[in-house]
Amino acid sequence: MRLKARTLEGLYALFLLLPLLFTLGVFFLYAFLRAVYFSFTDYDLFSPPRFVGLANYLRLFQDPLFLKALWHTLAYSLVVTSLQTFLALLLALALNQPLKGITAFRTVYYLPSVISTAAASLLLLWLFQRTGLVNQALSLLLAHLPHLLALALLFALLQGAQVLWEKRKGTPTSFLDPALALLSLPLALLGTYALDLLGLVQVREARVEVPWLPTSATFLGIPYPLWAIILMNTYTTIPTFMVLFLAGLKGIPKTLYEAAALDGASPWVMFSRITVPLLRPVLFLVITLGLIGTLQLFDQVLFVGGSGGAPLEATITLAYYVYGNVFPSGAAPRVGLASAAALFLAGLTLLVVLLQRRFGVSERGWT
Amino acid sequence: MRKALAVLLALLGLTALAQTQVRISGWGGTDIAIVNGLLKEVVQPKLDKEGIRVVYEPIEGDYTQWLFNALSAGTAPDLFYMDIFWSESLFATGKVEPLDRYFSKQEVGEFLPNLVQAFTYQGKLYGIPKDFNTLALQFNKDIFDEAGVKYPNQQDTWETFEAKLRQVQSKLKDVAGLCVVADFARFGAFAFATGWKPFDEKGHTVLDANFRRAFEWYTGLVRRGAARFAQDLGEGWTGGCFGGEKAATALEGAWIGGFLRDKAPNMRYGTTFLPLDPVTKRRGNFVFTVSWSMNAQSKNKEAAAKVLKALTSPEAQQWVLERGLAIPSRRALANNPYFQRPGKEPELNRVVFQGSTSQGGVNLVYPFKFRGFGGDWMRPINEALQAVLTGQKSVDQALRDAQAALDRLTGRR
Repeated sequence: MRLKARTLEGLYALFLLLPLLFTLGVFFLYAFLRAVYFSFTDYDLFSPPRFVGLANYLRLFQDPLFLKALWHTLAYSLVVTSLQTFLALLLALALNQPLKGITAFRTVYYLPSVISTAAASLLLLWLFQRTGLVNQALSLLLAHLPHLLALALLFALLQGAQVLWEKRKGTPTSFLDPALALLSLPLALLGTYALDLLGLVQVREARVEVPWLPTSATFLGIPYPLWAIILMNTYTTIPTFMVLFLAGLKGIPKTLYEAAALDGASPWVMFSRITVPLLRPVLFLVITLGLIGTLQLFDQVLFVGGSGGAPLEATITLAYYVYGNVFPSGAAPRVGLASAAALFLAGLTLLVVLLQRRFGVSERGWT
Repeated sequence: MRKALAVLLALLGLTALAQTQVRISGWGGTDIAIVNGLLKEVVQPKLDKEGIRVVYEPIEGDYTQWLFNALSAGTAPDLFYMDIFWSESLFATGKVEPLDRYFSKQEVGEFLPNLVQAFTYQGKLYGIPKDFNTLALQFNKDIFDEAGVKYPNQQDTWETFEAKLRQVQSKLKDVAGLCVVADFARFGAFAFATGWKPFDEKGHTVLDANFRRAFEWYTGLVRRGAARFAQDLGEGWTGGCFGGEKAATALEGAWIGGFLRDKAPNMRYGTTFLPLDPVTKRRGNFVFTVSWSMNAQSKNKEAAAKVLKALTSPEAQQWVLERGLAIPSRRALANNPYFQRPGKEPELNRVVFQGSTSQGGVNLVYPFKFRGFGGDWMRPINEALQAVLTGQKSVDQALRDAQAALDRLTGRR
């Protein structure tokens, strides 16, 4: 019997897909169904699982640690996704300029994303020590605040005087004219130096000793250590998204800009009417990937909260909560509870992404 | 030729069949060289006659996770390391074989009673301690000499010890007396000295007046100019500060010996006991210990028991001790000539060895385990220590918060 060409083609496709379907079935579908099953039991890896109904889910919402993890996850996700999307777009626009040596800049700005999270976390621990670089920089800044203020004041005075002078001569100038600043800035620097010599401006005694990591103090409801992780993670993920934006920008036909330029459109109009609408599919991809990635934050919490000395309560996220319950240090595994939390996290991720699609940026348009 | 080869192979196969294989596992790192040496030189020669072959599988990475998974899946080795810290949650599962059947009372009696007690759960013995550690006080002789301060000694109370630290810190501006960590694994020894117990008869944890006394003393060391917070010196443990000469003293076990050998080989350091509580005139301590335990699902339990005996035999412990690797768990080794040798490391090991013995009939030395609660139990106390050490909470507030968290965990009083 001869198979029809179509059937044969279908069989080939199936055959080639088999390895993928197999891994998908074993490591995703089967694992997922097991997790669903365990979430309704009190399984602890050793005794046979006993059905407990919804008890695990109820227990989750009575656990203050879980509620904290939930809040941290949502806040973190929101802040990091907005920050990294905005900054990546900004960077991509800058790196899309036809400048000499731009490739070198692209490489440099892409580098942070190559750093492993473990190495990045170590850097973060150094930066945010009580005697670390961040506190030292802040101390330096505060100590020299009088100088900086004097400099700013002198610059404003000199620049203002020059602008007034030019205006009186009838030349149209703005306050931010770079040509005038070229004269005002060195003069202001000299002035500040003179003030310092006269002893009118002095270095202040300032020592910032904010404990960034071993603390549960919060800013805007988010603990300091989590802010540190936010900064670090934004820094390491921007490059990846910047590359996606760059690819998107390259795909926009130049002719559109040329036509707009002929019509006398300003750069802002070109950006908001041409660039952003045509970047929409990339924007959707970046925001969605960002949300999914940030909702599952784990490594940095392990490095910074687990062994870095930040209190667990100040850094815990849902993914870490799951891990911490499967392998609690020195206690029996709570697989049932962890499965329930994991499913909750999966549901939350799905919900957030759907909401984003419905009310935020989608592939096709702003809704 | 081919025939000869076949015969040879068949013979090899037969001898392999006649042998019983016993799989043993422990963590990786430096332990690999130690266990391999021990097996080759001491254990295997003994077992060859019995036809037992020991297969050693060290685990790099997270050993606890691996062991829990392996025991759950039924693929665990016949014998494995068990850390006292998470031992109780494993004893409770029934996956660990009680050893009373394989060891006589007399054989068990040869090990230090505190260690045997640590691995006894509901009247049954679940592990033979392979070695152990306690906390001791290490001090840098050069730093004390330079500051012109007397060395800490075993008569020191918290107050006299603190006075010495304060002198060192005020004389040598850039050296801390001690660097304190926000960790119950160090602070707990002082809390025990007051007579405070981690759990009362009902199994609840009560942070009482005694606990508070130790807590106030320990967290106040920084404020009173006797110590610095380890993290502010960029270190995670007291040994790190000590090795880098950022602190004059350290509170560590014998493990610091190997670290100092690498990091500061020429450092002149001495070791003495932890200071005494000025009120009770006693000292508390922790016992950190690891046992060899047997898999309840093992197929060759008798052979495994023989391997277990060989691994913890006097010869094996002597071998380990002479290399300065660990403190043996046998009572008889207390009078071992090794401990009496001059030198900083034998002294360190001797003090650590003696740290496990209770004094005056009152036992204030506790194994480093907290029922089945593990790290969950320590976390509220560690966070209270950290909050007070970094000046974010008052002692009152920190202890109130810690008590509330412990009440949630161990039940209300």
